Amino acid sequence: MVSSLELELRRRLGDEQVASDPLDLYVFGKDSGLVRGEPGLVVFPRSTGEVATIMRLAGRHRVPVVPRGSGTGLAGGAVTTGPHVLLVTTRMNRIGPVDVENRCVWVQPGVINLDLSVHTTPFGLHYAPDPSSQSVCTIGGNVANNSGGPHCLAEGTTVNHVLAMEIVTPDGDIVTIGGPAPDPIGLDVRGLMVGSEGTLGIVTDALVNLLPNPPASRTILLAFPEVQNAAATVSGIIANGLIPAALEMMDQPMTIAVERFANAGFPTESAAVLIAEVTGHPSAVDAEAELVRRLAVSHRATLTRIASDEAERKRIWLGRKSAFGAIAQMNPDYYLHDTVVPRTRLVEAIEETYAISKRHGIPMLNVFHAGDGNLHPLMSFDASVPGVMERVDAAGRDLIEMCVAIGGSLSGEHGIGMEKRDYMPLVFDEMGLDAQARIREAFDPDGRLNPGKIVPQGSRCFDFGRPPPVGVWV
Amino acid sequence: MSWVTPHAPRPDELSSCIQCGLCLPSCPTFRLTGLETASPRGRLTAMSAVAAGRPVDGRFEEIMGACLQCRACEVVCPSFVPFGRAMEGARAEIAAQTSGIDRRLRRLVTARLLRSRTAVRLGTLAASIAQSLQLTRLAPRRIRGNLTGLRPLKARPPSIVGRIRAAEGEKRGVAALVAGCVMDAWFGDVHTATVELLAAAGWEVVSPRGQTCCGALAAHDGWADDTRKMASVNMAAFRDVDLVVVNSAGCGAHMKEYDHWVDGGEDLAARVADVNEVVAEAITDGRLPRLSADGGLVAVQDPCHLRHVQRITDQPRAILAAAGLTVVEIDPSGLCCGAAGIYSVLEPEMSRRLGSSKAGQVEATGAPLVASANPGCEIQLRSYLSELGHAARVAHPVEIYWEALQRADRQAAVR
Repeated sequence: MVSSLELELRRRLGDEQVASDPLDLYVFGKDSGLVRGEPGLVVFPRSTGEVATIMRLAGRHRVPVVPRGSGTGLAGGAVTTGPHVLLVTTRMNRIGPVDVENRCVWVQPGVINLDLSVHTTPFGLHYAPDPSSQSVCTIGGNVANNSGGPHCLAEGTTVNHVLAMEIVTPDGDIVTIGGPAPDPIGLDVRGLMVGSEGTLGIVTDALVNLLPNPPASRTILLAFPEVQNAAATVSGIIANGLIPAALEMMDQPMTIAVERFANAGFPTESAAVLIAEVTGHPSAVDAEAELVRRLAVSHRATLTRIASDEAERKRIWLGRKSAFGAIAQMNPDYYLHDTVVPRTRLVEAIEETYAISKRHGIPMLNVFHAGDGNLHPLMSFDASVPGVMERVDAAGRDLIEMCVAIGGSLSGEHGIGMEKRDYMPLVFDEMGLDAQARIREAFDPDGRLNPGKIVPQGSRCFDFGRPPPVGVWV
Repeated sequence: MSWVTPHAPRPDELSSCIQCGLCLPSCPTFRLTGLETASPRGRLTAMSAVAAGRPVDGRFEEIMGACLQCRACEVVCPSFVPFGRAMEGARAEIAAQTSGIDRRLRRLVTARLLRSRTAVRLGTLAASIAQSLQLTRLAPRRIRGNLTGLRPLKARPPSIVGRIRAAEGEKRGVAALVAGCVMDAWFGDVHTATVELLAAAGWEVVSPRGQTCCGALAAHDGWADDTRKMASVNMAAFRDVDLVVVNSAGCGAHMKEYDHWVDGGEDLAARVADVNEVVAEAITDGRLPRLSADGGLVAVQDPCHLRHVQRITDQPRAILAAAGLTVVEIDPSGLCCGAAGIYSVLEPEMSRRLGSSKAGQVEATGAPLVASANPGCEIQLRSYLSELGHAARVAHPVEIYWEALQRADRQAAVR
């Protein structure tokens, strides 16, 4: 089945745009997460037209298509659930002319997040969502997962920064959704597309908002003797009406791992480290930084240091953004979780996390977007030890159930993918799942796009009424 | 089939990668191709596939062969994956498990001819004749860039080996200069500058007989046994000196890792220093002078094995500033120039794209002078700059500094 499709794709796109060697399929069988699934074929389109060609040909051969950017996802969103066509967007990396007046730009899905901000620096503009993987991850992947990042506390996530999209539908049609206006008329299909993890269409171009670079910023490093003090400081900052650009927390084990790589001056003897960044007018940021400092001191902060220059600020952020990569210093395997709790329940959630860690004997390092209650417990383990994976799974389930129980949610920003698909019934009832399955069906009735993701099997009330196409919904 | 040699990527090396992907944007070949299989993470995954039982086949060889071994990925890796070591191990496996005329030829050049002073001298004689008859442009395309990028060669260049230069002033110790294979035959002026500056900084300089090529190119191409032999020879030759000075970044990087190859290699590795480190230190200590700025511009090219492996970036800039020059940066987050040892011959297309891009960046600075502390990079830059029609001179930082000192001395004598 795949081979005649491969021949056609090679003929239409050229051999350089298609990979099928078993070793290539193995290498493309994973993203940054834990799940592995080898595609049947990998294609590297260079244009919207080629994406449409791929969708049409794959549709004709009844082979589903799964889009992938740089492959830094953590929930298996870009991992195939069968021998599908993996559509890699990295060669679609053109940045259009920057519309300085309207502060927006069209970018192709394979553009790397940080490259976009570097590109727009001469105009004094930047693209706000800044996931930790921003030096690697693509705009296409950000749109698919509605990615956030430390600075989404004040600026919002990807959905707040995408104005319009060109998408290729499962049938291979090219459609434009949204427009330069901030509030689209009619149903907000644009909002629906962002975060749909490549299940509704393939984004081939996106008109994204650019924000002016703040005239001034202060990055404050705070350290506390207890995690509770840090959490109380976070609540205090928000309660005082301050919305910092970023408010990030790391616990001690995480700080130790990160400091070795980044040499950012994180105090490794403290139970928790908080990074606060305030941005705005030069006169305002100093006052705000001082307020943050005073609040921290009132909550027993042992260190309050304002980065003295850009180099120090960069080192602090390098440390924060390397957190997840640094974990391999401890153990060969990790599982980076992503859950959300109400900010007011942060202390409780952290204490519960430590309890779960202890109960299952799986060390957990914690790094989180404290400002919006987005937790990232990082489990560190050696998968080759018998029985470890079962304990990791159990601990993961406990974490999610705990977060949901205290009013939180399944995922803050990493997406559902395969990893959390089967947890969806924890937060959605039958009707909620059925509605999502229907939406999906409206866009992609035959399940041609990224099958087996987000919506658990059996969500559609009459899933079994119609036989699924071959190779789909496995 | 999996691995068959003791040099293979070790399980702990492979499992230290957690596939976070932070290395991807620093990798030149990923940048140019957008392929996971041309990224450090993808290459480690391919190695893991072989470790798990897949064969070392042609596709594995291609994937490993496309790597420049520039090691930019190691700098950005939060988990300190020893990528260079693992890649040398993978190359050793390929060398052990594949055969063919091209493999034998590669071994002949990197592991045999470069060890033979006679062979290098014969090659130099042939190249110098080709230069004087202006035949280099007729050479096969694969090696043409390397020939057009050479300095004007001497038919019978003098060798540094066996020479002794006494220290000036208070003697700090004995420093041995690594003569190198092509450095000795093609870069005599860099050796002269190195010897004179070391002497002026208080070192007695020797270049012992019995030394041989450092073995870097053989190691990168997977000739593990030859690499070990070369390392052992040099360990004996440099046994009795205080400091082992290298003025070729790639050689220095490799010699600082002799412990990867030979038991006890750490003793020599610990005494190896790049000439940029020694000279910059002497300038800081006041044993070598700082000249006042003369308004000239110099662009700095950071050889990957100086920047990523030896982590040396400030020193060449300090030396050039002490030469009275204003340093301009080419590309702060820059990618490899594409020379990468014999890579330019084996992967000419990728090498060409990187070389042209680097030359374009040099041209954009407008600097008439480019400093590069590695012979391969120098040749690559000169070749692609001449293709652009840009007349900038390419030279070693210590050579530029030494010339400036001599000029200053002459001017002082005239006054």
